[in-house]
Amino acid sequence: MVEIKNLVKRYGNLVALDHLNLQVQEGEIFGLLGPNGSGKTTAINCMLALLAFDRGDIHIFGEEMSPDNYHVKKQIGIVLQNVAVFDELTVYENIDYFCGLYVKDKEQRKRLVEEAVAFVGLEDFQKKRPGKLSGGLLRRLNIACGIAHKPRLIIMDEPTVAVDPQSRNKILEGIQELNRQGSTIIYTSHYMEEVEQICTRIAILDHGRSIAVGTKEELKMMIKTGETITIEAVALTEEQIQMIQGLPHVFAVEYEEQILTVRCTKAKHNLIRILNYLQEQEILFGRVFSELPTLNDVFLEITGKQLRD
Amino acid sequence: MLHLMKYNIIVKVKCMNVVFWPLVFPLILATFFYFALGAMEEADFETVPAAVVKEENADTVFLEFLDTMEEDESHLVEIREMTRKEALDALEQRKIEGVFFTGETISLTVAGNGIPESILQSLLESYENGKQTMELVARQNPQKLKEAADQMGAYEELIEQVSLGGQTTDGNIQFFYALIGMACLYGAFIGMDAAINIQANLSPLAARRCVTPTHKLKMILAEMLSCFLLHYFNVLILLAYLKYVLKLDFQGRLLEMLLITLAGSMIGVSMGMFVGSFGKMGEGIKVGILLGISMTGSFLAGLMSADMKYVVDRHAPLVNRFNPAAVITDAFYCINVYDDPARFGRSLVTLGVMCVGLTLASFLLIRRERYDSI
Repeated sequence: MVEIKNLVKRYGNLVALDHLNLQVQEGEIFGLLGPNGSGKTTAINCMLALLAFDRGDIHIFGEEMSPDNYHVKKQIGIVLQNVAVFDELTVYENIDYFCGLYVKDKEQRKRLVEEAVAFVGLEDFQKKRPGKLSGGLLRRLNIACGIAHKPRLIIMDEPTVAVDPQSRNKILEGIQELNRQGSTIIYTSHYMEEVEQICTRIAILDHGRSIAVGTKEELKMMIKTGETITIEAVALTEEQIQMIQGLPHVFAVEYEEQILTVRCTKAKHNLIRILNYLQEQEILFGRVFSELPTLNDVFLEITGKQLRD
Repeated sequence: MLHLMKYNIIVKVKCMNVVFWPLVFPLILATFFYFALGAMEEADFETVPAAVVKEENADTVFLEFLDTMEEDESHLVEIREMTRKEALDALEQRKIEGVFFTGETISLTVAGNGIPESILQSLLESYENGKQTMELVARQNPQKLKEAADQMGAYEELIEQVSLGGQTTDGNIQFFYALIGMACLYGAFIGMDAAINIQANLSPLAARRCVTPTHKLKMILAEMLSCFLLHYFNVLILLAYLKYVLKLDFQGRLLEMLLITLAGSMIGVSMGMFVGSFGKMGEGIKVGILLGISMTGSFLAGLMSADMKYVVDRHAPLVNRFNPAAVITDAFYCINVYDDPARFGRSLVTLGVMCVGLTLASFLLIRRERYDSI
């Protein structure tokens, strides 16, 4: 549905997109995950033909994307990072305005606007102006303006920035519902939990390059970490740490401020083996956590830095 | 297109920046000018208090002349009959500006030399000139004496300030012409707002509009049309306010005035679109630039000082040829004062050229569809 080949975008000497390659299939919720400045928004703006780029091709629905490809634009919905609505119009008028740029028929538009209002749960705020809405409601209005015309492809650029957890969950549920209704979604975020929660396939971006692409399971399979075990342990000696390091399937051990972090490859009974060792050594320990690998682990192993650095 | 224009107009009408500067501010300034200039006029023609002292063989015709002048609706003088002592005391205490002594001859005593004293002096001179004329007519052509007396009695109707073109003019109206020029240029604020909301690199709202399947040219055209319409309506409200509420005496033909203001409004809006589209400066800086341009233009066109336009004409005539506010003011002069169709035509052509030039320039700037950075 969307194909980006060798996309290069420079801002002077800064390479914002460095031979970016992406393919989005119909029906996906495709996540673009990366830290701030990794090139997510630049990629979106190039995709939408807003930004000129230096090299590469962008095809959407099999057609080359250009500013005057109105046939393709008609099938795209966009939810930008910044709320982009008219302060002077009411909630209903805003949705009607943007829907009217895609749908000419008044009756059809009226129905679509009402559906969009209901979809984002703004029925009680239809006559209110954006200035009277809370941050969460404003984000929902921003989404409604982008999806009212029932687009085939919806591009969402960090739609949950600065939103409270309750509103965030509603927005994420809404995105999944839109996908169930048939829209393909490209979703950018630097919140790995969100991407993990809703995306069917994910591309991890860093310095304008796609460093890994796949489902979340596939991405986690790409790395060595199968389990990360964290234990509050008192007064470990260097020798004991070396011993833990030598246990089967353990490939990395850190001990800082009485917190022992052990990274193991995927295997059974990793936690039991480590706890047995601590008991044998009569080492006092408190809380114990065992976590499966996260996308942050994927990012960490591939780039050597935390996703939120 | 109608959908776009409908919402464009709703948005602009509700936008404080768009309504205040182009509409409310000129109305406030017009009201302020009206009262300030009215007060100046009243101050200029303050009734002059004077006294008349009747002496032996007083000239009763002069006394009647003074009565007539006092009763005149211009209220030029207020004459009180006093004794010589009372009059001189009052003059010393500056309760009155002068004393007419009327006996076989008439004399005027004043205590200073200002406008009130000059007015009293002029009164006396005009009476004596008239008297001499009447005596001459009586001597040389006695049968025409009554006719001459009637004509002299009606002399006020013969004296009226008129322009070179023969049309009555009020010296202060030029401030209002410059004000209309300023109001036309203030359409720049509507134009600037429109440009910011249509260029994807200037606002997220514009970016969202630019990714819709609406043709960019259609969007620009809808913006321009709604801005022109809206601002022309603003200027028409100002014209109606000046003409029907403040009762200013515009002598010119309405059609020409509407043409001038139409071209002026388009120039204002296009100028705003041009500045609004130019570069990625903040909105505040752009507002500052537009205020600077429009206020300087209006100042040079005579908004704050009636003589400024003539000073610029004398020392830097080209400035007035390219200053839209001055051209608008000049066009108003052409139809209201000079009655000079050729000059009016030139002004209108200049405005037309400016309008087309600025509209094209702003169009070329905002028609971009892809940007280097957002």
